[in-house]
Amino acid sequence: MSDWIAIGLLAVVAIAIPITMMVVSWLIRPSVPEQGKRATYESGEIPTGSSRTVRFNIQYYMVALLFVVFDVEAVFVIPWTVIFEEAVGEVGFVQAFAPMALFLVILLIGLAWAWRKGAVEWAKSPRANRQLID
Amino acid sequence: MTLLPEQIGDLLGLSGLPAEIIGGLIGATIIGSIILANAALAGPWAKRKITAAFTDRISVNKFGPWGVGIIIPDAVRLLSKELIVPEGVDRPAWDLAPLIIASSALLGFAVIPMGSLGPIEFHLADPEIGLIFVFAIASIASLGLVMAGYASNNKYSLMGGLRAVAQNLAYEIPLILVGISVVIFAGSLQMSEIVAAQAQTLVELGPVDIPMWFAILNPFAFVLFLAANVAEVGRNPFDIPEAPTEIVAGYQTEYSSVYFVLFYLGEFVHIFLGGALIATIFLGGPAGPILPGFVWFLIKIWAVFLLTQWMRSALPRVRIDQLIEIGWKGLLVGAFLNLFLTAGIVGVLAI
Repeated sequence: MSDWIAIGLLAVVAIAIPITMMVVSWLIRPSVPEQGKRATYESGEIPTGSSRTVRFNIQYYMVALLFVVFDVEAVFVIPWTVIFEEAVGEVGFVQAFAPMALFLVILLIGLAWAWRKGAVEWAKSPRANRQLID
Repeated sequence: MTLLPEQIGDLLGLSGLPAEIIGGLIGATIIGSIILANAALAGPWAKRKITAAFTDRISVNKFGPWGVGIIIPDAVRLLSKELIVPEGVDRPAWDLAPLIIASSALLGFAVIPMGSLGPIEFHLADPEIGLIFVFAIASIASLGLVMAGYASNNKYSLMGGLRAVAQNLAYEIPLILVGISVVIFAGSLQMSEIVAAQAQTLVELGPVDIPMWFAILNPFAFVLFLAANVAEVGRNPFDIPEAPTEIVAGYQTEYSSVYFVLFYLGEFVHIFLGGALIATIFLGGPAGPILPGFVWFLIKIWAVFLLTQWMRSALPRVRIDQLIEIGWKGLLVGAFLNLFLTAGIVGVLAI
C-alpha cells in the first residue's frame, strides 16, 4: 500500500512541476496581442481551411486492428513469463512451454496471413497511385 | 533494503500514515528534482555539446566551465517567451497535451531503483507489477502527442500526430514482448527482484566475476530492446513524428513559450526513462564495481542518452512506410523469436 501512496505523491509532484513552470512563465512573459501572429502556420502562406475538415487516409488502419490482437496477446504472455521458471522445475520444460508455444504459433500464423495479405504495410493512397500512373 | 519514503520517515521520527505521506512527498520531490536536474543538463547543454563534438564545432563555451552556465540564461529565455495561442486551437486539449507529456515521463521514475549514495537508497516505490507500471506510464505520452496533433488545428501537427500513432502501434508490442522476456529469467515483475536476479555471477574469468546482466545473458534481446526503445521515445532514426525537414516540427509546430519547454522537457525525461528501463532490466540496475550504485545508475542512463545523440548525428531518418515494415516484419518477428529463445535458455539452465 505504501508503494502506491508514494507513486501517487510522485504523480502530484510530476503535475506540480509543469504547473509551476507555467505559472512562472505566465508571470514573466510579455503579451503583445496582434491578429497576424495568431494565424495557423502554413510555411508563411495564408492558411487555407481548417485542419479539422481535411480528409486524410488512415494508411495504418489494418495495422491498428492487428495491434489490438497482439496487445491483448501480450497481456496473456505476461503471467506465463512470471511463473515459467518455477513451472519448469515443477512439471518439466515441455509441459511448461508447449501450451504457450502453441498459442504463440497460432498468432504467428495469423501474422503470416496478414503479412501475405499486405495488411502490415503502409497502405498507398489511391491518389498517390493515380499520380504515379499519370 | 528500505525505500526512500521509509528512510525519510525514520529520519524525521514519524510512524504510520503521516510517515508514509510526508516521507513519500519529500521522497517524490527528491526523485523529481534528480530527474529535472538531469534533463536540464541534457537539454540546453549536453545535447549541444555532443552534437557539436560529432559535427566538429565548438558550441556553447562562454558561461561557466565548458559552458554549463548556459542552462540558466536558456531557461529564462525560454520561459519568458510570449505564448502565442493560434486561431482555432481546441482548448483545453491544447493546453493539457504538454502537461501530459511532461508529467507521464516523470511519473515513470517512481519504480526505478536508482541505487544508493552513502546511506540513502534512491528508490521511491517497489510494487509487484513494477515493470508493467513503467510500460503503462511510458505509453501515456502518445496520448499527449495525439492531443497536441489534433488540437493545434494545423495540418503539419495533424500529420505529426497521425505518424506518432503509427509509430507507437509498430513499436509498443515488440518493446513489451522483449521487455517481459527478461521476466522469464527473473521470475518477477518487481524491479528490485529483477535487479537482484542480475547480481548473481554468470562466469568467473580469473579474478573478475562476470555478473548475470541480462544484456550479457541474452544480447539479442538487448539489441531488439534498444531499437524498439529508440522508436518508443521517437529519436533518430525514428523521429518521423517530428521530422523537421518534412512536416516543420510535427505535433509541436504551434507550441511556443512554456508549452514548448514542457514538450522539450518531456522528450528528454522520456529518453532518460528509456535509459533507466534499459539500465534496470538489462544492465544490472545500479550495480557496478567501486563507485556507489547511484553514480553507476547515472553513468548507465547517460550512456543511453549519448547513444541516442550519436544516432541522431549518424543515422538518416527512415520513412514512415519503412518504419511500419521494420516494426511489424522485423522487430515483432524478432521479439517472438526472442521469447522462444529465452524460454529455451531458461529451460536448458533449469535442467
